[in-house]
Amino acid sequence: MDDASLLMGRVRERDAAAFEAVYDAFYRLVYGIAVRMLGDTMAAEDLTQAVFLKVWSSPGAFAGGNFGAWIARVTRNRALDVLRSRSSRAEGEIPADVPADGELDEAVFAQLDGQRVRSALAHLPDEQRLPIELGFFGGITHEEIAKRTATPLGTVKTRIRAGLKKLRFELEGSLA
Amino acid sequence: MNGHDDAWLDSVAVLALGALPENEARDLRTHMLDCEICRNEYAELRVAADALALAAEATPQELGGAQCARLKARVMDAVQADRGPAAAPSDSRVVPMRSRETARVWLPYAAIAASLIIAIFTGYSAYTTHAENDANRQQIALLQARVDAQERAAENARAELALNQSRLADLIAPGSTQFAVQNGVVVRSGDRVLIALRRLPTLPKGKVYQAWTLRRGAKAVTPSVTFVPDATGLALVELPGSAATFAAVAVSVEPEGGSKAPTSKPNFVRPLS
Repeated sequence: MDDASLLMGRVRERDAAAFEAVYDAFYRLVYGIAVRMLGDTMAAEDLTQAVFLKVWSSPGAFAGGNFGAWIARVTRNRALDVLRSRSSRAEGEIPADVPADGELDEAVFAQLDGQRVRSALAHLPDEQRLPIELGFFGGITHEEIAKRTATPLGTVKTRIRAGLKKLRFELEGSLA
Repeated sequence: MNGHDDAWLDSVAVLALGALPENEARDLRTHMLDCEICRNEYAELRVAADALALAAEATPQELGGAQCARLKARVMDAVQADRGPAAAPSDSRVVPMRSRETARVWLPYAAIAASLIIAIFTGYSAYTTHAENDANRQQIALLQARVDAQERAAENARAELALNQSRLADLIAPGSTQFAVQNGVVVRSGDRVLIALRRLPTLPKGKVYQAWTLRRGAKAVTPSVTFVPDATGLALVELPGSAATFAAVAVSVEPEGGSKAPTSKPNFVRPLS
């Protein structure tokens, strides 16, 4: 069990000092995802506050695993909600939330940090990195990515797959 | 969808990224229930997709000291307001004493009961020791987190110092473009935009300066960083985002915490062209 998971045990007992320690450890990640997805510092601060209030008021929502991976998913899903509320698109066209399922290899995530991932991303060719970043941080569908980049839909999907595979390879290489 | 087709693997990647429309995602998830190849592909790519979040972790230059402190105060205030009373201890149950006759009936079982009590006590001791160990581990985790936070704060201070040196270098870099504004200059250097202001008027209590950016093609400004000049009225701030996307920059005085749209006449509005 990592430190954050232990601290969450105390947050469940309404320990504000433990909550503060969790905040100090993860606010840069939460704010960073929010500002990257929303492109607006004020909205990012609002979202950061909402995410940490959720951690405080519903600590049981974290059911175990890697806390960083969990809070990153919560933040992205909340940011997607904000993007949806800004959008006039029909509900069916909007990408689904990434479910918080148990299939993720969280041991790998726990060993990673921002610098490693940025470095691994930088190794991807632009044609793979761009659709991946648009899909993840832009909260748009593969069809919209295809339109924005003027690329055939099938090519976009293939590049996303190739890019994610290469990214995984680079990340594993950086941990070796 | 039955059986496996390699063509679906591209869609699995898009699903792992979270960019598949809901109707397609639903169908694919149904297919994955019966397709081990697609399930394995999804699990492999989800690690990479989830790790993307880490790339966005804010650096000290993106989330400066003043903004950090304000954001933390905001969150902790909200938590304090939401903080409920500590859980009350559960009521102890009053067990009535048994009569002597009843006790006599139970006397032969006393030895067994005593053994059981000892066993339970031993188990309870082990349990409480385990619970104490958990509490100690949590305490250590809390202390470690505080040490980590202090180390990060020191690291951030060092990074901010280095960053300011880098900003100063950008101000006078040969390839930079300077745009004069009231009290200073807006500088575009590569993909960065800096605002350097001096002799700024002292702010009224509860007010800060806030930068605004107008993105190319946009009709309304977007809120950017808030800042407070130092005691000499000097401020050197970097605007988050890519210089190529900004058509203009503005600064106004706003309430502490910043505004979503300007609430006062801007000190300046400067097109970056």
